[in-house]
Amino acid sequence: MYAIARPWEPRPGGLLSGAPLPLLVALGVLTAGAGVLATAEAVPLTLAHALGAGGAQGALLATAVAWAAPRGGPAPALAAAIVLVGALGATLAPFGAAAYLVAPVWLWRQRARLPGLGLARASAGLVAAGAVLGALLGAHLLVTASLTLGYGVRAPAPDVLAPWLAYDLGGNVLTTEAFVRGALFDRVQRRWPFGGAAALVTAVCLARYLVDPLLPHSLEVAAGAVFYLTLLSLGNCWLYWRSGSIVPGVVAAVAFFAAYRLLHVVP
Amino acid sequence: MTASRRQAALLAGGLVVVITAGLAAADISPSTPWRHLYLLPVVLAGLRFGPFVLREIEGHGPTRAAAEGIVTLAVLALSGALVGSLAARARRQRERYETLRAVQRVLAAPAPLGRVAARLAAVLSRRLGVDTAGLVLDEGRMVAGADVLDPRSLAARVLVRREPVFVADAGTDVRPRRVVVVPLTSAGQTVGALAVERLGDVSREERDALVGVGAAVGLALDNARLVARQRRFAEELEHKVGAATARLAEMDRLKSGFVALASHELRTPLTALQGFSELLATRPFAPSEVRRFAEIMRGEIERLGRIVSDFLDLARLERGLAPAIRRAILDPAPLITGAVELFRRTRTTHRLELHVEGALPHVDADADALDRVLKNLIGNALKYSPPGSCVRVRARAVDGVIAVDVDDEGPGIPAEERARVFEPYYRVRETAALGPGTGLGLSVVRSLVEAHGGTVRADAAPGVGTRMTVILPALP
Repeated sequence: MYAIARPWEPRPGGLLSGAPLPLLVALGVLTAGAGVLATAEAVPLTLAHALGAGGAQGALLATAVAWAAPRGGPAPALAAAIVLVGALGATLAPFGAAAYLVAPVWLWRQRARLPGLGLARASAGLVAAGAVLGALLGAHLLVTASLTLGYGVRAPAPDVLAPWLAYDLGGNVLTTEAFVRGALFDRVQRRWPFGGAAALVTAVCLARYLVDPLLPHSLEVAAGAVFYLTLLSLGNCWLYWRSGSIVPGVVAAVAFFAAYRLLHVVP
Repeated sequence: MTASRRQAALLAGGLVVVITAGLAAADISPSTPWRHLYLLPVVLAGLRFGPFVLREIEGHGPTRAAAEGIVTLAVLALSGALVGSLAARARRQRERYETLRAVQRVLAAPAPLGRVAARLAAVLSRRLGVDTAGLVLDEGRMVAGADVLDPRSLAARVLVRREPVFVADAGTDVRPRRVVVVPLTSAGQTVGALAVERLGDVSREERDALVGVGAAVGLALDNARLVARQRRFAEELEHKVGAATARLAEMDRLKSGFVALASHELRTPLTALQGFSELLATRPFAPSEVRRFAEIMRGEIERLGRIVSDFLDLARLERGLAPAIRRAILDPAPLITGAVELFRRTRTTHRLELHVEGALPHVDADADALDRVLKNLIGNALKYSPPGSCVRVRARAVDGVIAVDVDDEGPGIPAEERARVFEPYYRVRETAALGPGTGLGLSVVRSLVEAHGGTVRADAAPGVGTRMTVILPALP
């Protein structure tokens, strides 16, 4: 029994200790610079979006990697570079969105060196629960958006939907879940009760999506986003709490965003 | 409010009551998943009143019907949450009492403390709904739930600081391992520590409850210890009383034997005295013969005198008094030599050897008492060793004392009986037939030697026989 038979050493460091600050500053400069350049119309908007999104999401994944493996793990900069390359590849090449998939493949191959990132195999039941959660929220979103807000639902062609799915899986969802659930929630739950930890990371999750320039910012969409993303985040926290893996949460979020991509409002 | 919505409100309220009654009647843990049944009336109210309220507000603004709907929804949600919370608290309280009852049952069973602690840990683990529970008792010497107490562990810390400790995460599990360690207290003293671990949350309420459980377990444990101690004390007392009773019975038996023996011992010299005195009174004898008879009579009178002295000393001993001695500073060497010479003159059947090593220091002693001691020991050695054998008397000064050894070549004294030969009336069964005796001589020897601040002991002599050693303090 731990409390009796093993020596107790207080865990060193605070909640945010171990973050790769120089790298985050550099990525922040890159993201802000992309915004400035886009505003000044010095670079094409798509390129600025790619740089901004890649930089921000790369910062999330780099932080997650740094926290998950303080010693002996892969370099956080490499994680950020992979995400950035995915974002640029999706912008610059015709089938470049496939480059987003490098990130999940790389992470999965590195999972042995990233013990604290929640890359463990989850039970099929919890993965299915994640899929059901995402599908339910997505279906509810489609029904509510079409009935209340009047958004149309379409069945996009595979060549339109596939890049978005690749983006969600390899960039949007993966980096968010890796940082918010695998890194941040994992740290917070080891300090706070589940409710407090889930509330904090849900707030972070909402902030991350609400400031995302790639999502629409009308009031009704923002209100809906708060509602659905709150439920999605709380559900994913519970799935992570039960499984210790981000896989069910990634499945839930990908399913939800897949439904979201069916709305006409998608830019 | 329309009839259908009223029915829905009643249904939701009724569900709250039914669920509360059901959970109260069922013998289930406070952390049962069934507690989420309270969501049912809340969801029902939400489904029935939520869309209505939204539609009403969107269509007609904040009307009275909308306000009623909101209030009904809020009341139902609030009552569901409140009743659920109160019921959970009541169940926790019940659980706590049942835990304490289970603890009492474990402690009431007579068993060694180690086994009790292990059972207690198992019961607490099950009743508290934790993954593991452990106990540290007896200042860490007794541990249940682990093999040994690490001095740097949380439990060791709690034993020292006497304050509960909560650690939100210990170990390296995927899920955080919450650890709570509370002191077991009784009458303000920490008698141990209770540690529980769970892969999951341990609420503040549960932690507070654990502190209470720790205090109750500590008190119960202390009581159980007291009861066990009393039980042990009673058993010891019973054992001692039994031993004392047996000893009294033995003493009684020995005394009865002694009375018979003493009568015989007194009778023998008296018979001799009576016979010789009658001979002298009734018949003429040659002067040399008369002298021989007188010597015999004097010997028997001395024997009678010794027996009477032994009786008197024994009487003093049994009253808890030391023998009466008159101390004076004297040289022990002439006393020892005199005693040996006396036996050499009167007992020619044995060889008597005397070794006095160097000059013996003086002693503060009663000369008559020492003479009795020496004669008793030498007399015994002669009595219990075969004719023709050697009795050796050796006196020497060692480290501020005088040691006198009397060795014989007799059958010896069994090791287990050597201490008992100094008890009154006790005679070694194997050698009792070798010579007459009252069983008082050695007990008197011991009392006389101890009255001088010395000791006497019986050992096996080198080779064969017995060695009696008297140690007396010497004057500087």
